Amino acid sequence: MSVKHVLTTCPYCGTGCNFFLQVADGRLVGVVPCKTDEISLGRLCIKGYNAHAFVQHPDRLKHPMIREGGQLKQVTWEQAMDRIVKEVTRIREKFGPDSIAVLASAKCTNEENYLIQKLARAALGTNNVDHCARLCHASTVSGLLYSFGSGAMTNTIPEFDNAECILITGSNTLEAHPMIGARMLRALDKGAKIIVVDPRETPLSRISHLSLHQRPGTDISWINGMIKIIIDEGLVNEEFVKQRTTAFDELKEVVKDYTAEKVEATTGIPREKLVEAARLYAKTEKAMIAYAMGITQHSNGTNLVKAMANLAMVTGHIGKESTGLNPLRGQCNVQGACDAGGLPNLFPGYQRVDDPESKAKFEKAWGVQLPGNPGLTLTCAMKEATAGKLKAMIIFGENVMISDPDLGHLEEAIEGLEFLVVADIFPSETVQKAHVVLPAGCYAEKDGTFTSTDRAIRLLRKAVDPPGEARADWVIACDLGKRLGSPGFDFSSPAEVMAEMASLTPQYAGIDFDRIDKQVLRWPCPTKEHQGTRILHTQKFTKGLGVFAPVQHAPPMEEPSEEYPFILTTGRNLFQYHTGTMTRRSPKLEREAPEPYVEINSSDAKRLGINDGERVAVSSKRGSITLKARVTDRIILGSIFIPFHYAEAAANRLTNAALDPIATIPELKVCAAKVAKA
Amino acid sequence: MMREEHGNVAPALISKGEDVGEVRVDIPYQLITILETIYSWVPKGKIAVITRRCDEKALAELTKRNYIDEKRIVKIGLACSKEQIAKCRCSDPVPSMVDIGEPNEPAPKDDLSERLAKLSPEERLKFWVKQFRKCNKCFACTHNCPVCFCDDCVLEERTFVPEQSIPPGLSFHMIRSYHMIDKCIECGECERSCPAEIPLLTLRKMLAMDMKEVYGYVPGDPKAVSPLNTTLEGETLEDECDEC
Repeated sequence: MSVKHVLTTCPYCGTGCNFFLQVADGRLVGVVPCKTDEISLGRLCIKGYNAHAFVQHPDRLKHPMIREGGQLKQVTWEQAMDRIVKEVTRIREKFGPDSIAVLASAKCTNEENYLIQKLARAALGTNNVDHCARLCHASTVSGLLYSFGSGAMTNTIPEFDNAECILITGSNTLEAHPMIGARMLRALDKGAKIIVVDPRETPLSRISHLSLHQRPGTDISWINGMIKIIIDEGLVNEEFVKQRTTAFDELKEVVKDYTAEKVEATTGIPREKLVEAARLYAKTEKAMIAYAMGITQHSNGTNLVKAMANLAMVTGHIGKESTGLNPLRGQCNVQGACDAGGLPNLFPGYQRVDDPESKAKFEKAWGVQLPGNPGLTLTCAMKEATAGKLKAMIIFGENVMISDPDLGHLEEAIEGLEFLVVADIFPSETVQKAHVVLPAGCYAEKDGTFTSTDRAIRLLRKAVDPPGEARADWVIACDLGKRLGSPGFDFSSPAEVMAEMASLTPQYAGIDFDRIDKQVLRWPCPTKEHQGTRILHTQKFTKGLGVFAPVQHAPPMEEPSEEYPFILTTGRNLFQYHTGTMTRRSPKLEREAPEPYVEINSSDAKRLGINDGERVAVSSKRGSITLKARVTDRIILGSIFIPFHYAEAAANRLTNAALDPIATIPELKVCAAKVAKA
Repeated sequence: MMREEHGNVAPALISKGEDVGEVRVDIPYQLITILETIYSWVPKGKIAVITRRCDEKALAELTKRNYIDEKRIVKIGLACSKEQIAKCRCSDPVPSMVDIGEPNEPAPKDDLSERLAKLSPEERLKFWVKQFRKCNKCFACTHNCPVCFCDDCVLEERTFVPEQSIPPGLSFHMIRSYHMIDKCIECGECERSCPAEIPLLTLRKMLAMDMKEVYGYVPGDPKAVSPLNTTLEGETLEDECDEC
């Protein structure tokens, strides 16, 4: 008999809650909250309490497989690795290294992402490495690097407790980041004013002080409108703007046209409500902004993020306790996957691949010649695959066949690949397309670190062994690197990988496993003595002066038409997570939200003769899905909402792959659609 | 027991002869809930548990319903500190045997209960509705409760609680409260683990007052039979349901 309680980090959203996995004789039997954890405070959401449920599910991939005659057949690791090396080598020799792309994973640890990008760059010789941050916060990274010089939450999760005003937009915080939502509730109980700007009613907006509903795709208009009100009413933090920022005049020039009338016409937000929100945010000393996908997933996502940064800078709500601009990142390690260099244009620590100095630094450290041209982003790689230029992909832990926009075309791209390797934990829709499948270890089966949305680097501690022959991704990446003949893949533990990553990543220089075993450290942590950084940009911005970006409202790429009169927006619900591979195998979660649905406004439904619970067909130019109608007043007229978790009615069959020109993030939040009785 | 691990306080079960490490008794983990999960994995031998007075009462509720064999449990009595008693608004803090700590006086009263008792029913309802609107259906109140042990949870039946709805509505909390009325030993774990900080302990305390007043019954006594498990004449039901 052996019973253990293993402290580890939650594999769901990016909050980084720690909890104990209860292990009895090698079985995961439960989850116990960690009372002394400074992030979760001994509390968890329903996903956290069920985080053990999928780990030992019978569907787990247990053996490597190779496709033969259209079927995936069980093989040995040796056979699977030989096939990968043979095919990858052949394709690289014939079409060059840039004909191969690697996807890192926001579900993998920092150490694994570090190794995966090293695998692409050092072993394969391409910068074609990206991951699903491309679909969620790529525009945060590009937008905030421009405005502030650092693309992450400026403040920390616990600071929400003491905020006096919180402006939340494009984030259904209580459902998508429940424990951050709980902090907001605590602030609310203490008298904070909460403003929610969202096309839908959310559990938080219903108890907020001010709830504003904008038409999807009109955000720059209301943000610029708010800035104009702040300027007109003399609420600008003049001293901050003068000392800490640049290009304010350009911003002033742009926002002057955003009169309250015009903004109301564009966004549908009543002018008096916008004025109230602007005053409240500007006048409150401890005012925080939190945003998520509702801001980033647009074809002008980078501009939208810059507009949010303008709003924070104009009021000077940045660089101080309980203020700042806070992108809430939605995966356990999407922050870390970016930090570790899982991006086609950036080495670990946001060092540019086309900067000769950075390139020389990594060449010296890794002992290889590196490519100097930025690689393909995930979304561009898919387009290149469709065009037949990209020949092979190695995907670690991503289910692109559900998560990416315009699945019809994506499927063609994936099927057109000469060679596809997928390392994953479950037989996902993407695994079904692979030529070689590698069974991976999940969060409970390995050591490593996740970096949560507020830059805290948190340890995973191995609780159980991977099932069957499955191996942790870091083991797979090291093996593959060695077999491809590259030096620098001899690691015997994730701690050793972190040591190398820390030596090359200035923000992580002070991080080692021994230190974070006992304390919460947030990057930048430049030395072993440094205690980490809670609040960014306190004295000056990372890039020196904060830069105002004069950005204009632009309509979404696809607007409602006679044929497709609705605006479709997508998102999550509380009980499911992303493509559902884990949550849909967790009985208590699946029970709560077992089937796909579309939310439609009751007046729209009445007009179309659709009753609550009836099956409807929702179509866009790209595809059609059939699902249940949920008739509600919680979404504005003319808009519909579909959660993207469900393979049987994948919202991404409908979404538009129009890309932001800088971040190449797709416009997952807006496309034109029609609804009809099925 | 609880001990220091990785700069945190962790629950731990150790075997005979194993190093106990640095024991911590200042953080109120609900060890009985933890014991329930792992009990079936420890098929034989005795299990020693650090028991506060509330844990002892929780054990009484479990053993009299045959969920745990009393003979297999060795209680190590922990008398809670003054600070902890105040935090828990605990009215009954001293275990039958004190092995760790010094016995302290109970907390004088639960201010919130008293304040709410003075309100009109309408105002009281308004207070609770405002609190319940913060509920995000994490099920922490059931998950962490030591005396919430039904195999099939009524809160997971769509007849009573529709799936998906957040917040889950008044019935969620009312069903749970009444379901726990003859078992709740007021350990306060539901309140401590509630992310929305709904004062659930106060809700339980107020219902317990009714139970005491109407039936003269207080949960936590190993010998007292719940009035819900008796006939109308007050005799013990022969075929009693262990879950009730």
